[in-house]
Amino acid sequence: MISVESMSRYVSPVNPSVYPHLSVLLLLIGTFFTAWFFVYEVTSTKITRDLSKELLIAFVASLFMGFGLMFLMLWVGIYV
Amino acid sequence: MGLRLKIYLVCLFLTLTSFCNATSEDVLIKSAERTIDVTSQLVKITHRLTLSNTGKSSVNSFNFHIESRAQQKLSYFKAQLADGKDSSGVLKAVSSTVKGVLTYKVTLSSSLEPGQTVKVLVGTVFTHNLVPHPAEITQKEKQLVQYRGSAYIFSPYKIASQTTKVLLSSSSVESYTKVKPSSQSDSTITYGPYENIAPLTEVDIVIHFENNAPFLSVANLLRHIEVSHWGNIAVEETLDVYHGGAKLKGSFSRFEYQREHSGVSSIKSFKTVLPELAADVYYRDEIGNISTSNLRQEDDGDVSLELRPRFPLFGGWKTHYVVGYNLPSFSNLFNSGDEFVLQMDLISHIFDHMVIDDALVRIILPEGASNIEIETPYAVTRLPDTLHFTYLDVKGRPVVEIAAKNLVENHIQPFKLRYTFSRIVMLQEPLLCVFAFFLLFLTFIIYARLDFSITKDEACDNRQRAAGIAENIRNHYLKRSTLFQAFETHVVKLKSSRDINAFQASAKNITSDLRAQTLDLPANLKSEHPQLNDRVTEIQKQDKAYRDFQSTHAQLVERLVGGKINKPQFVDAEAILIKKRDELVEKLNHLINTL
Repeated sequence: MISVESMSRYVSPVNPSVYPHLSVLLLLIGTFFTAWFFVYEVTSTKITRDLSKELLIAFVASLFMGFGLMFLMLWVGIYV
Repeated sequence: MGLRLKIYLVCLFLTLTSFCNATSEDVLIKSAERTIDVTSQLVKITHRLTLSNTGKSSVNSFNFHIESRAQQKLSYFKAQLADGKDSSGVLKAVSSTVKGVLTYKVTLSSSLEPGQTVKVLVGTVFTHNLVPHPAEITQKEKQLVQYRGSAYIFSPYKIASQTTKVLLSSSSVESYTKVKPSSQSDSTITYGPYENIAPLTEVDIVIHFENNAPFLSVANLLRHIEVSHWGNIAVEETLDVYHGGAKLKGSFSRFEYQREHSGVSSIKSFKTVLPELAADVYYRDEIGNISTSNLRQEDDGDVSLELRPRFPLFGGWKTHYVVGYNLPSFSNLFNSGDEFVLQMDLISHIFDHMVIDDALVRIILPEGASNIEIETPYAVTRLPDTLHFTYLDVKGRPVVEIAAKNLVENHIQPFKLRYTFSRIVMLQEPLLCVFAFFLLFLTFIIYARLDFSITKDEACDNRQRAAGIAENIRNHYLKRSTLFQAFETHVVKLKSSRDINAFQASAKNITSDLRAQTLDLPANLKSEHPQLNDRVTEIQKQDKAYRDFQSTHAQLVERLVGGKINKPQFVDAEAILIKKRDELVEKLNHLINTL
């Protein structure tokens, strides 16, 4: 068993001081893609709709929104 | 018969020898100095003993008895070598109850040879050992308490010389039992020196004195330590605090309390010392935030939090509150690869000379932590591990629960909690959010595809289909127009660079790109949407014309570069071409946009 003295102090993989910036940036990008997704959904007709494009935009949007939301939670003090 | 007797004798001998070893009558306490500190609500007793081995064999350990009247109230025991440094000289002590007497068997660091002496320091702390007398007082009265003890040290060994000093919180002493020689000077009562006191001799003493120190105790402490690998350790303490001194008799007068400064034994506020890196501190109760608190950084780095309950605490009164703060992970969490160690105080400072009757410490580890092992600084009860569910949890976070009773400040010592945690698991939480969002979008994708109309609207369908085809055509020609523009840029570039080969190569590329672009039009376009078909035919015509213009323009520039025509001729020819092109572009754009 390794002794505590030989261990290093644990720091978060992401510096907690950048959580606010990170969450704002990621959520902005996420909101942009979300808006694009919904605009596309309501403007396209069932003939012009392209499933792969929809899924791609949805995936990118959810990726940014998901990470943005988690950093928002960390920022406000909900340490998940 | 003879054999039986022999066995009996052997047994008797064995019992006797073992008894002798256990009590070790060879030990003599040459001198003993005892200090009984009753300045606070605690009874802190320090014994400075000089042990001497008067026997013939070496001694490895000695016994220390706790008076039976106080043994239930013993909170803390520590034995150390008097000349050794504080941390290095701590001696191992094992407690057991022998014939109803709580006995600590203290093992010496090196065996005591016959004729040798060793100086030992034994410290004990008792809680709830000062009895308020009278048990009930009015707001104006001062608090008087009684301490009951023995004038002599309760020891299994003979003590050659001993003195006891009792440190009181004030010099106003109602009465104290006199055991000659004993004296009082200011706030100290001295008993002794007493010579050659036989083992286990007790002479009861009662000291009745004024003690207005805060008699504040914590009935229940619930301490949550929540570890997050995103860089935070959240600590939250829920406390039930009561004033354990003399109960308040009669009513409480706020007026008298403010004007006459009565209620000297009541507690207005107290100070909690938080760790140096504590941040985001909150102090609240069931109603909400308690605004009467001050947080300041002390000179020694510690953060001190001055808490003032909603009302002053009188004897028998209780309060309930929550204090919480965040610590950065690097202050208490250590790692080496996937091995983590949380090193933290099991309990923390609540107020000076505190008493905690019942403590429950819950250490919440991140979801996915395994191989949990805990090392505590003193004996505690480890309850079965449970699970805790909070934000973004799937299978719950493992919780280590520790229960302890009767704790004082001396118990503020760190525990070590080892566990294994794979850092990849940290991604689970954001991915859960991503998944939730994706599910939302997916729902919308499916919803958009559902048709709730009762009748089939053929006209609308047709219109939509036409719009779809038109969109397709528009995109096709928009793409073509960017290629056309690229071609024109190359032509302009050729005029200045005069590099025909490079131009031809890029022109070839663009031409093949244009060829590769195909427009898929439905076969029934002509019959279904004749209007659209006409437009498309028109666009195709204009498109071809534009393409022709481009090749003519390119040839013209090539001829200029090749020196086949001179500059004025070229300028004239180009001007005509450009004019023709502008018309074409306008027409084409109009056609595409109004499709």
